[in-house]
Amino acid sequence: MQSNNLFSIKKEHESSKKHVSGKAKYIDDILEPKNLLHGAIGYSTIAKGKIKKIDLSEVINSKGVEKVITYRDIPGVNDVGPVFKGDPIFIENNIEYYGQPIFAVAAKTNELARKAVKKVKIQYLEKKPILDIKQAIKKKSFVLKPVKICKGNAINEIKKSKHTLEGELYSGGQDHFYLEGQISMTIPQEDNNFLIYASTQHPSETQQIVAKSINQKFNSIKVKVRRIGGGFGGKETQSFIFSVISTLLSKHTNKPVKLKIDRDDDMIITGKRHDFYYKYKVGFREDGCINGLKITLASRCGFSPDLSGAINDRAIFHIDNAYYIPTIDLISYRCKTNTVSNTAFRGFGGPQGMYCIENIVENISEFLKIDSSIVRKNNFYQKNTKNITHYGMKIEDNIINDIFDHLIKQSNYKKRRKDIINFNNKNRILKKGISITPVKFGISFTTTHLNQGGALVHIYTDGSIHLNHGGIEMGQGLMTKISQIAANEFGVSLKDIKISSTHTEKVPNTSASAASASTDINGGAVIDAINKIKKNIEIYISKKFKYKGKIIYKNNKVYFGKQKIDFKKLISNAYFERISLSASGFYKTPKIFFDNKNFKGRPFLYFAYGAAVSEVIIDTLTGENKLIRVDILHDVGNSINSSIDIGQIEGGYVQGLGWLTNEEISWNSKGQILTHSPSTYKIPVSNDIPEKFYVKIYKKGKNKENVVNRSKAVGEPPLMLAISAFMALKNATSNKQLKAPANPENILMAINR
Amino acid sequence: MIKNEIEFILNDELININNVDTNVSVLNYLRINKRLTGTKEGCASGDCGACTAIIAELKNNKLEYKAVNTCIMFLYSLHGKQLITVEHLSNTKLHPVQQSMVDNHGSQCGFCTPGFVMSMFGMYKDKVKPSNQNIDEYLAGNLCRCTGYNSIKKAAKKMYSYGRKDKFSKNENKIIKLLKKIKHNDILISKNNNKFYIPLNLKNLIKYIQNNKHYKFVTGGTDIALEVTKKNNTINSLIYLGNNKDLNYIKIKRNYINIGSATPINKIIPILKKYYPSFAEMFYRYGSTQIRNVASIGGNLGSASPIGDSLPALLALNAKLILQSKNQRLLGIKYFFKAYRKTALKNNEFIKEIRIPILKNHIFKCYKISKRIDDDISSLFVAYLIKLRNNIIIDVNIAYGGMDSIPNFAFKTQKYLIGKELNLKNIEKSKQIIEKDFNPLTDVRASSYYRKLVSKNLMDRLFLEINNNKVRI
Ligand SMILES: Cc1cc2nc3c(=O)[nH]c(=O)nc-3n(C[C@H](O)[C@H](O)[C@H](O)COP(=O)(O)OP(=O)(O)OC[C@H]3O[C@@H](n4cnc5c(N)ncnc54)[C@H](O)[C@@H]3O)c2cc1C
Ligand code: FES
Ligand code: FES
Repeated sequence: MQSNNLFSIKKEHESSKKHVSGKAKYIDDILEPKNLLHGAIGYSTIAKGKIKKIDLSEVINSKGVEKVITYRDIPGVNDVGPVFKGDPIFIENNIEYYGQPIFAVAAKTNELARKAVKKVKIQYLEKKPILDIKQAIKKKSFVLKPVKICKGNAINEIKKSKHTLEGELYSGGQDHFYLEGQISMTIPQEDNNFLIYASTQHPSETQQIVAKSINQKFNSIKVKVRRIGGGFGGKETQSFIFSVISTLLSKHTNKPVKLKIDRDDDMIITGKRHDFYYKYKVGFREDGCINGLKITLASRCGFSPDLSGAINDRAIFHIDNAYYIPTIDLISYRCKTNTVSNTAFRGFGGPQGMYCIENIVENISEFLKIDSSIVRKNNFYQKNTKNITHYGMKIEDNIINDIFDHLIKQSNYKKRRKDIINFNNKNRILKKGISITPVKFGISFTTTHLNQGGALVHIYTDGSIHLNHGGIEMGQGLMTKISQIAANEFGVSLKDIKISSTHTEKVPNTSASAASASTDINGGAVIDAINKIKKNIEIYISKKFKYKGKIIYKNNKVYFGKQKIDFKKLISNAYFERISLSASGFYKTPKIFFDNKNFKGRPFLYFAYGAAVSEVIIDTLTGENKLIRVDILHDVGNSINSSIDIGQIEGGYVQGLGWLTNEEISWNSKGQILTHSPSTYKIPVSNDIPEKFYVKIYKKGKNKENVVNRSKAVGEPPLMLAISAFMALKNATSNKQLKAPANPENILMAINR
Repeated sequence: MIKNEIEFILNDELININNVDTNVSVLNYLRINKRLTGTKEGCASGDCGACTAIIAELKNNKLEYKAVNTCIMFLYSLHGKQLITVEHLSNTKLHPVQQSMVDNHGSQCGFCTPGFVMSMFGMYKDKVKPSNQNIDEYLAGNLCRCTGYNSIKKAAKKMYSYGRKDKFSKNENKIIKLLKKIKHNDILISKNNNKFYIPLNLKNLIKYIQNNKHYKFVTGGTDIALEVTKKNNTINSLIYLGNNKDLNYIKIKRNYINIGSATPINKIIPILKKYYPSFAEMFYRYGSTQIRNVASIGGNLGSASPIGDSLPALLALNAKLILQSKNQRLLGIKYFFKAYRKTALKNNEFIKEIRIPILKNHIFKCYKISKRIDDDISSLFVAYLIKLRNNIIIDVNIAYGGMDSIPNFAFKTQKYLIGKELNLKNIEKSKQIIEKDFNPLTDVRASSYYRKLVSKNLMDRLFLEINNNKVRI
């Protein structure tokens, strides 16, 4: 029995005081070693072709330069591909995208390194790049084989349907724009070992890939991460190349090397969210209920597979969102283009799947002239019937119907919708729109083996507790939640818990902090470790006090039978009795399995649900628009920390809003990215969120599965709540052809089509 | 007497310096030379606000606080000012804005946080009402990718409840005394063949430019500093105009608003509010608070970008420029823009003053269209100046930005409209003519098609607004 007093509280972020006073250290803030060198990367300035000739002499002779390296200087594997090969550190000859690294320098200062890089002379043999998805499909240019899935006979069902609709859709890419850019600092150690400070979501894989690149054992590389200034998926694999290069430079110079990537270079070199092209045909009934769906999903993976397999799989897993689709015929293309290798981004393909089906449902409503909230409800999964997904998983925890009904009431949706219709009838230039959309998002890595985590817990003799686990603090409040979990388990106060950096020396073989599951997995591992220590204490108590039975940890005390003892005292006593007060813990997510071949199984332990109502106004002369009001009801299970959860919901929504409205990535016809700086790539600012921004946690929420505190993962799911804003804009244009991102230009195009 | 070092106050320490490179930014100086790493770099281009710090300047015996982007500010432009960084905000106790950020959960990854704290601190020192609109105005230059801003805005709303006096109010007199000690001379820093000149007054400036070559002017630096931070170029010789009192003024004289070229945009807004509210309203969307606090109207003209926001507005208003070399000359602004980023400025000549006529019987409207409402560069911009008599258009200027390689008039449309009645029919007609005036480019900000379409549609907006219809979102 736990006291549970540290849960569901509004505890502030563990580092918040340091954040606001500038004391929280990020990698670039760490005191620099004396002889530190600074790295910079030289990259290709064509999208496809070969290097005819490269002249590095001026780079080598440039002021302050100590070392220049190319692929020839890689002792081990020239590849940073996480799952599949295909991501060279430095290209040997074949250029596959504009911005692909060719060489790197180490120089005395950052400025000198960057100035040196500019002095390279390269002659290229340019070839015609493949730059868009449709072109790639036509040329059968894929990074991975297409995936097909079928459930029932969709073609037949569509044919038999009273109504059918077909069309094409697009969703755009998205740059992560973590505020802390990519950065890595390597410090040489004894025996050719290296210590790496990396801004990464995945220290273990950084360790492995660096080791392979320099042809050393994993145990010669240590990776340490205290916190990162945002990741959002952009540092799940895309950070590896920077740690590899800082380490290669360090190895060759035998000096510490910091590689801090300029914002523009970061946006040029690293992968982004996959943009998608969709083609659909849907058959449905009079009430909007879908009978069958034939669908093509095709994504821009860029030049290499990276994580595109799992990302596109997740798009498939979420093509139903919260809807029961009785028959489906789906093909998913993973297109190879001569652009950056697209990668993980909050939602990991899920948003792209949901965006598609939400558009289809919206189009059905428009066609039938029914309020889309009704068509949505008509299609929802049900509790006991209509509860098997297209990948064969039974949905056991469905609460979307209840959330949706609550939110419709709470937001006064029906009345507001009527008012908007009136407003639009009266106004020629300004038009409003409103929409409510659901989210059902599967929690777990869909690659089953990744669902494991470790922890290491020590109690020192003064009763203070130190712990480590495999997760990364990237703003999501993971350390805060884990501290709460540990404090709660031992019944001590938060002040007694210390979590230091995530460190490959402390906890090995971890998975990336991704898939929203870090609290579930690492929290589980911490509890496992704590239980082991508690076992030891139990043995001690039973010997010393001849007591067998329940032991309660509460209010800095330990209660057993009628006795109680100070936690600190107990720990100190136990030490003298030679009781081990340290343990490692492990967690693996139960119940999940997946048969990749047949695309069947239970890839997720559970689902997180939510819904949002967004209301917008647009100017039909210019396409300028504004979000007027947002109402959100989101399920986080039984919250561990409601303020952190609300922060995730708000932040997720706004990030999704950026994806679907103003954030637009563009390339020129030669494949050069044009939007490589915040002056041309516009993420939301303060003024883009509405004054009326009402976010509520679903009070009845409780995870059916046995997850810490019966809480639910909250990192990714809220991002998809922003689909409601897109649908509201679409609603305001009273046109179904609105293309994402819905920026002023695309809105105006939709109106004038 | 010419001095060879600058003096400024870093937090509360008086600093004399001349031994760093003349191209070094305030941000790099803080982070690398002073190891004050609380101020962050998120972009080095003035767009994200992670590097925000506060500059306090002596104005009428009082300190005036303003937020700036340290990443695009040259260190030597700090002469005579106090620079306040996030490290200095709290001692044993957090500053009200910091405590409010903590209590309202305004940080997640925390990387943007020092920048937000400083922008909020700037707002706090300005004592403005924490309305939604004011908060957006003060925070538009700060990007956060984690929080979604709601918690940050809450923190801003509640900051005053943690106390309206801070340690800076107490220390103000001490800082004022320190600042007064700083001597104002001509300053010339020479370091590794690079020069940074700060003229004491106009006279010295004129003398200096007669005797020197190959220098560049820097006023706010929000354009020119990017040469260094983004293109990794070195600018060998800089002349800093930002401090120059002889170039920093606003005077009303004989139906003209005379503005010293180094006057920052934010200082111009109040006077424009009075005479040309639409101009002022647009200026609130010019960059961000940090940009507007230093970016000058002269620099905007000097960069001569076809998407510079004040340019078409000044064109439409028939502004005049005083150009200064050894001698002065007066030039109508329509003769100023020669070709893409080329102006009528001669060697050794700079803009001294901008004169905006006060036209009480004209209607002036300008519209900035950008992808994002706040802190974004225009996709297109239009300014209208119209005089009506009995609803007949007797005078009209229509100037566009973003439609051509220079800011330019819609000559054919103007010609058509003159003498016509202002009615829907004629507006419709004029829209067809605009198409003949311009053939805009497609670029990242907008397509040619969009620019054309909107340039026409804005004629509708103009018409509706003149007739007092509310047509803005
Ligand atoms: C984040 C950001 C947002 C921005 N947003 C906007 C915007 O919304 N609208 C807009 O129009 N611009 C915008 N800009 C561009 C820039 O801020 C403006 O052009 C600004 O007015 C330049 O003024 P400054 O004093 O900073 O110029 P500086 O950078 O100091 O100088 C610019 C150029 O003019 C020359 N110059 C400076 N003063 C004089 C003078 N007195 N006489 C002759 N030449 C001179 C300089 O040599 C230089 O070539 C933005 C820039 C940034 C970084
Ligand atoms: S670092 Fe982004 S504005 Fe200065
Ligand atoms: S808290 Fe991470 S960017 Fe603002």
